[in-house]
Order: sequence, then C-alpha cells, then structure tokens
Amino acid sequence: MKEIVVASGKGGTGKTTVASSLAVYLVRKGLKVFTADADVDAPDLLLALGGGKTVFSVNIRASEKATVDGDKCVSCGKCFEVCPFGAMVMPEGGRAMVMKLMCEGCGVCKLVCPTDAIEVGQADTGTISVEETKYGFGCATGKLKLGEHNSGHLVASIRNIARRKAQDEGSDVLIVDAAPGIGCPVIASITGADYVIAVTEPTPAAKRNLKRLSQIIKHFDIPAGVVINKGGYSGDFETTLRDWVLNELRFQFLGEIPVDYEVVRAQVQMKPVIDFNPDAKASKALAVIANEVGEILW
Amino acid sequence: MVTFRRKKVNVPMIAVTGGKGGTGKTTVAVNLAVGLNLEGLKVMLVDVDVDGPCCAALLGAELGVGEEVKTFRPLIDETKCVGCRRCVEVCREHALFSLQGQTPILFEELCSGCKACQLVCQYGAIKDGWKIIGTIYTTDANGIRLVVGELRPTEPRSPMVARATVLRAVSELQSGGYDVAIIDTAPGVHNAVAQPLWVADFALVVTEPTPLGAHDLRFILDLARELELPAEIVLNKADVPGGSKDELLSISSERGIGIAAEIPMDDELLRSYLSGEPLVKRTSCSPAAKALLSLVRRVAKRLKGVESDGTTA
Repeated sequence: MKEIVVASGKGGTGKTTVASSLAVYLVRKGLKVFTADADVDAPDLLLALGGGKTVFSVNIRASEKATVDGDKCVSCGKCFEVCPFGAMVMPEGGRAMVMKLMCEGCGVCKLVCPTDAIEVGQADTGTISVEETKYGFGCATGKLKLGEHNSGHLVASIRNIARRKAQDEGSDVLIVDAAPGIGCPVIASITGADYVIAVTEPTPAAKRNLKRLSQIIKHFDIPAGVVINKGGYSGDFETTLRDWVLNELRFQFLGEIPVDYEVVRAQVQMKPVIDFNPDAKASKALAVIANEVGEILW
Repeated sequence: MVTFRRKKVNVPMIAVTGGKGGTGKTTVAVNLAVGLNLEGLKVMLVDVDVDGPCCAALLGAELGVGEEVKTFRPLIDETKCVGCRRCVEVCREHALFSLQGQTPILFEELCSGCKACQLVCQYGAIKDGWKIIGTIYTTDANGIRLVVGELRPTEPRSPMVARATVLRAVSELQSGGYDVAIIDTAPGVHNAVAQPLWVADFALVVTEPTPLGAHDLRFILDLARELELPAEIVLNKADVPGGSKDELLSISSERGIGIAAEIPMDDELLRSYLSGEPLVKRTSCSPAAKALLSLVRRVAKRLKGVESDGTTA
C-alpha cells in the first residue's frame, strides 16, 4: 500500500480540494482507496466528500494535562514560574489554575509544587472515527474536544487507525490530508509516507512557505511533487515558480490548477470538484495531476 | 477569567485569526495595521503564524538577521550521573533513555525543553544546554513596527516559538510609544493560536462563505469563548461566485457575534499580494480597499472609544 500525504506550508492553498479529487479519481481508475484527515484543527476532508456513515469509532486519550487541587494549593506561585507554556494562571490572592488550552502536559508544575496539589493525567481527547463515504472508500477523521487539537500524538493515532483499516480492506493507497504549516502535526503526518504532494499558490508568501515545507520533506527524505493551485493570474511569477520548483527544490512538478469558481460551487455542494463538474477547468487539471501521481507511484 | 488577562501593558492588542487556513487573515492584519497607521496611530504588527509567517511578504519588508529563540536541552555530565534513572522516569515525552546504572541518552527531537529532568536530578548531573528552535525578527516597514516569529524548519514546537514571539512583542510594547498592536495568528485552534489570543483584548475572526469556512469558524469562536475574548467576524471573499453566506450569517446571529466587515473579491488584492505593497496603500478606490478602510475606521473608532473611557486593556 502506498501512502500519499497532501501538505502545504501555507493554509488555504487547496489541500482538501486536491486530496478529495485525487481520491475520487483513483477510485474510479479501479484502485482501492482509503483516506485520512490529519488536519485535526480544521477537519474538512469529510465535508468535502459529502459526509459519511460511521462504521467504527473509538474514544482516545492522546494528551496529558495538569489539574490543580484548589484545597491543597497554597498560592506560592512556583508552578506559574516554571511552566514553559504560560499555561498556569495565578489570580491575585487566589489559587493556581491551569489553562488547559495551553497545557502540554510536561508535568514540571507537579515537580515543583510543595503541597502535592497538582496531578498530571490523561485527558479525554475525543473520538476518532472511520466513515464510509458515498464514493465507496473510507475516511478516518477526528471529532475532538476543544484544546485537544494539533498534537502530533493525535495525528499519529489517526494515521495508525487509517493504516490498519486500509490494510484490512486491502487498499492500494492511503491519502492523508495534512494540517497547514510545518510544525508537530505536519511532521507526524509526513514521516514514513511514500510520497508528499505539496500544494502551493503563485504568490511570494506561498513560495516562501513551500520552501520551508521542502526543508522538512527533504529532512525526512520523502519523494515529493508540487501542485500550483489558483493559477492563471500571476503571469511571470508562475513560470518563475515552476522553474524554481524543478531547479532549486528539485521536486517533481505535477501540474497547475487554474482559478475556477466551480471549486467554490463544489465545496458548497460538498462534492469533490472532479465529481461535481468533470468538465470544469479545475477538474481537468486535477485529473492530469492525479494521473501523473498514478504514473509516478504505480 | 478576563481579570486574569494580565499582560502588564496598556496597549490594546487586536488578534486577527480565523480557524481555517487561507481565509485572508494576513491580508486583513497587514491592511488593518497600515490603515490605522494612515489614521495617525503608532502601530506594531506581530506575526505569530510561526509555521508560515507572511506579514513581511505582504508588507514589502526585508527581515534582517533576527534573534534566536532557544529552549532548554539537558546536557548530562557523565561524571556526576549515578544512573538512577529518575530523569528518564519523569520525562513525559520519553526523550531520555537508559538502562539502570547507565548515563541516559537524549533523543533531542522528542525533548520539549521543559526542564523536568533537571529538576529531579539530585546529583547536579544535568546542566543547561540550549537548542535553537526559531527566530524572532524585528524591523520597520511602511510606518509599521513589525515583529515576526518563525519556527525553524524540522523543529516541531510551534507553541514555544509563538509564546516567545508574544513575550518579545509585549516587552517592546511596555517600553511605550505604541497606540495599538495587531497580532496575526496561525490557522487552527491549537496552543500556538491560544498563546496570542490569551494576551489579546479583541479578535477579528476572518472567514469565507463556504461550508468549510463555516465549519472552522465554529471552532475558532469556541476557542475565543473559552478564553473569554470578545470577537467580531470579518467575512472575506464575501461575493465569491458560487459561495454561500447563509450558514455564516446564522452562526453570527446564533452566537450574537457581529460582522465587522464584508470584503468582496478584488483582483487588486492579488496585485498587492504580488507586489508586496499593502492594498490600502496602493488605492482607496477598489472594492476590497473600500471595505478594508471601512474596517480600519470601525477599529479606530473603537480604539478611541476605549481611550476616552480610560479602560484600556
């Protein structure tokens, strides 16, 4: 089974558009496909595929958080001083409190607390489910509690469940929609993958973020190709960007998707554009790209 | 909870955030900063999207050398280590490994820099070492003071770089001379977004009229509510062909969160993006420029209101 990760240094470049249309294209070519949404902060892949029917779900405890026992706390402020994430708050004259959103569960507060008022324990992270989409393939996605997002541990859990399910079903390919950026969840998404599709836009800001993403992809030594989305309006910049991808980054160039409002209409109808309107400019470009990916991997 | 929002600085801080990526956070943040400066305010713009900072590119600013963001990394002194393994047991990231009686080995990529190992070592065997995880740049461009945090590629700890960037900005704001700080956040609702929202006094939440935009808007509004941070919605790409505003409008009325601006599609935005010149500096006539300038006036009015009440921050 091949594992393809769709990633992007910048947000909103079109990862989900590419991942959803690629999945539908490959399934129609006769491959057995499985998908996973590793963008746990903005899990939009299932929405883009028109939702699903839950076939399997599991509660997970993938993160740890500190809690303070207000009766034992003597307001000494030691935990507040040592917390590397600024997650402890000390109201004037009050007891210490943990801002769970900012707590990474390192437990330093517990070590310095003189009255044993702090416990660090596993937090209820939420649910990871496998959904059956109407396109005949599964999608692993997370429904998570607030403040339980973006951890590499969580992304690893989703990938593990997706891999196991995909292998059980005898899938040929697992397509992973990654989070934007280059941080912990992205690293957890791409390590060990067979191929990365890096989606970018023809703007200087997106190019800069593609460069940053390429440094990670190269660090983990994963073959990669680039898709330029929202093309056709930036003239010379697009040509320069393509040359730069080939000559400087030395990644494959998979193709360019032109600006096409059929993509927006497809999103509103919650269908991959390649299914919503196969004749749209964007769909034709996506088919060329998906075909190219197929040529590279099989 | 708001009373805990102690950042020890009297400069209003406005966060521009959005849940989903690519909705136009940076476009709004940069144009708001430049617009407020054109209104005569002294503005600091803080880029806390440390995974992919873009404010400098949109502002046409050159980033110089910058200051390194360092975290703690344990340096183990073999001559003092007795092999008790207390440090190994306390490390929740499993970044230290050893067998009984041996000096532990550090897996650097797993280390969060929390210092738990150093705190439990009774033999003084763990010394301060450092690891560079990012860079903070400061520069002046287009009349704006720009502070940019950048995560070093291959380092995973975005929240730590975000926190360092926020602290750096707050320390400069304390020295005085600023009327307002605009903070551009990362997409998402994770710790690296919570760090800047925690010091902010107000949030502008940028979204777009698609089911995906609406879906992620709910997440970021939940986060703002958790932090008791007042917010307003900025509806970007408001008239995108095929888009649908219905769901966004019902979220707005359900939650009682107003829409501060509706920014229409505008080719001038793309041109400003490509040239590195903020739209409101290029023109005041294009459809998006008009909407952004109206947002600027709304924010300026709000800031002046806050000042005359004497209830800043």
